[in-house]
Amino acid sequence: MRASLRDHRASVLVAALSSAFGVLLLEVTGALSTLVTADDIGRHAAVSVSLTIVAFVFLTIAVYVGAIVTTNTFATIIAGRTKTIALLRLIGSSSRQERRAVATEGFVVGLIGSALGAVAGVAAAFGAVRTMVGTGLIPDLAYEFFPPVLLVPVSIVFLTTWLSAWIGSRRVLQVTPLEAVGASQELSRDESDSRRGRTVAAIVLSIIGIVILVLGVLLGLVSQLGVLVGVVGGILSFTGLVLGAHLFMPTALQLAGRLMGSSAEARLAAANAVRYPERSSRMTIGLVIGITLITMFAVATQTFQDMIHEAMRADPQMYQGVDGVLSVLVTVFSVLIGFSALIAAVGMVNNLSLSVLQRQRELGLLRALGFTGGQVKRMIVVESAQYSIAAVGVGLLLGIAYGWAGAQALLGSIHGSPGLVIPSVPWLLLVLVVAAAATLTAVASVSPARRATRIAPVVALAVDS
Amino acid sequence: MAFNYAQDGLVARVTELSKTYGDGAATITALDDVSIGLRQGDFTAIMGPSGSGKSTLMHIMAGLDSPTSGSVWLGDTDITALGDTQLTLLRRRRVGFVFQSFNLVPTLDVMGNILLPFELDGRRPNGDERAWIDQLVASLGLRDRVTHRPHALSGGQQQRVAIARALGTRPDLVFADEPTGNLDSRSGREVLSLLAAASTEYGQSIAMVTHDPIAASYADRILFLADGRVVHDRARSSAEEISSFMLSMESAA
Repeated sequence: MRASLRDHRASVLVAALSSAFGVLLLEVTGALSTLVTADDIGRHAAVSVSLTIVAFVFLTIAVYVGAIVTTNTFATIIAGRTKTIALLRLIGSSSRQERRAVATEGFVVGLIGSALGAVAGVAAAFGAVRTMVGTGLIPDLAYEFFPPVLLVPVSIVFLTTWLSAWIGSRRVLQVTPLEAVGASQELSRDESDSRRGRTVAAIVLSIIGIVILVLGVLLGLVSQLGVLVGVVGGILSFTGLVLGAHLFMPTALQLAGRLMGSSAEARLAAANAVRYPERSSRMTIGLVIGITLITMFAVATQTFQDMIHEAMRADPQMYQGVDGVLSVLVTVFSVLIGFSALIAAVGMVNNLSLSVLQRQRELGLLRALGFTGGQVKRMIVVESAQYSIAAVGVGLLLGIAYGWAGAQALLGSIHGSPGLVIPSVPWLLLVLVVAAAATLTAVASVSPARRATRIAPVVALAVDS
Repeated sequence: MAFNYAQDGLVARVTELSKTYGDGAATITALDDVSIGLRQGDFTAIMGPSGSGKSTLMHIMAGLDSPTSGSVWLGDTDITALGDTQLTLLRRRRVGFVFQSFNLVPTLDVMGNILLPFELDGRRPNGDERAWIDQLVASLGLRDRVTHRPHALSGGQQQRVAIARALGTRPDLVFADEPTGNLDSRSGREVLSLLAAASTEYGQSIAMVTHDPIAASYADRILFLADGRVVHDRARSSAEEISSFMLSMESAA
């Protein structure tokens, strides 16, 4: 196989993280069930089933984000391989053969990643349980570490990785043999054919979803059933927004770019970030999803808490002890969702690295024309900051809107509730998210920036890069 | 070594320049004891077959690569021992480049590309410089194109933008690396005439690396390199004379 392992490090990591996450969730669920069974045999089945359902909901979110990241990574890798693929096409390889080769790489990546993740997940669960038993935190029961159900998340991750590679490899079909001969320009065409259908679907889904969501909120003022309507509206509109990311992410990136000042390196970075709207949208949407989910849960529970507090004043006995449960829930959920955000962050870091690798010649040109190493470095950092800020900004807005809608639909009608409320945003969340964005910017730009400054200006003069 | 360039009328020179790659048995000598000077205001062509060292010579003179031994001067600055940052500033302010593959920044429009060297310096062109750039844009026939992006331009137009960018800062020396290599013959002749005009009308010093006798016939002076050495130095010649000299070089080898 001609693929270097280096190309696929990030995809293997994403698959391993998703698989480890799924395995660990099920292991924890299993251990909790064992504990509960020892306490109270009668409730075992019900608790075990609901815990497993919760585990699968979070696994689905992680796999979904992972799939988007992997698809995007493969598309980016192929963009960088255009010349090689064109050469093979010229010699007589068919585009199907080329695509199959890429899909095979996805197969191997999925296999290795999900297996590594499974091993890591089991090992982590085993270590954690043994430690807790050792310190007397939990009783020493017959915990099972290899239940057959573990195969489910592992195979889901393997299959989605393979599928994502297949979808991401679509681009191979557009490479013509001519690109090997001509002094081919940089890849600039977007998948414009599939784009129109997607845009229409995105807009239709978003509008229908938002209408249903508003209905849910209104219904929530009279009945708690509003939340069920709201969930449907939320899923539809969010799917529409993810599909239509190319319609609004470039604007968000441009706005973020304005914050960066007007020095030459900031302006070039801003232009780079919106150069291929399709690509930068895919690059950031994973992170947008992660931040939206975290924010949604945090805002929902905070708003929820405020409404409960209001209601408590009217009827103190009814809501005793609710506070403690809520804050435990929000912590657990944030950690679980945070894992998806981590996967999305891996994808963004990797994509920035790849895009620097693919821009060697252009960076060489800037060096030849008089960009100092420091200026090139700053340009990469600014570009990275722009992606983080745009993703975090959009994620926060969406999360606040969805979180508020959820709380409103669920509690708008409860006894003593004030009806419509304004969303309350926990300040701790804002601080954490901003800190995370800053860290991500720094981490994402470290290695690309170092690599970029190592590019010799002579690269720009070479006829073949 | 004291060197007064105004007195010698040289814009750049190298002395006893050698460049080798690798070591031991695998050593490749790209330049072997080369000493040349480029005259102020001259359009100089550097010719030679592939592997003759002409590109290496240009890279070293432009501060893009460092020599193994010998010294390199740009004007009265010895650039041999300059660090990366100083070389960067030198390229930004005192050297211009025109490459074979046009090499414009794809995210900037025509005017953005032309003004890039000023932007890199964190300043806007002053009134005098602005007038000069407007004059360049007009004489290069780019006036209707200033807001276009590079991908919307033909190869010849892109190369004219690159020339405007190279001349915009009025550098000591413009390096052109096979500037017509990717152009059809008509656009190629246009680009060469523009370079020659920049030299005669504005006194711009230009060093052009090429293997094309027609391109070299536009130059005031032609230097021939072979196997890392300067083998011939002649004044303006016709394409036929240059071709026949190159053929004689081939048969002598």
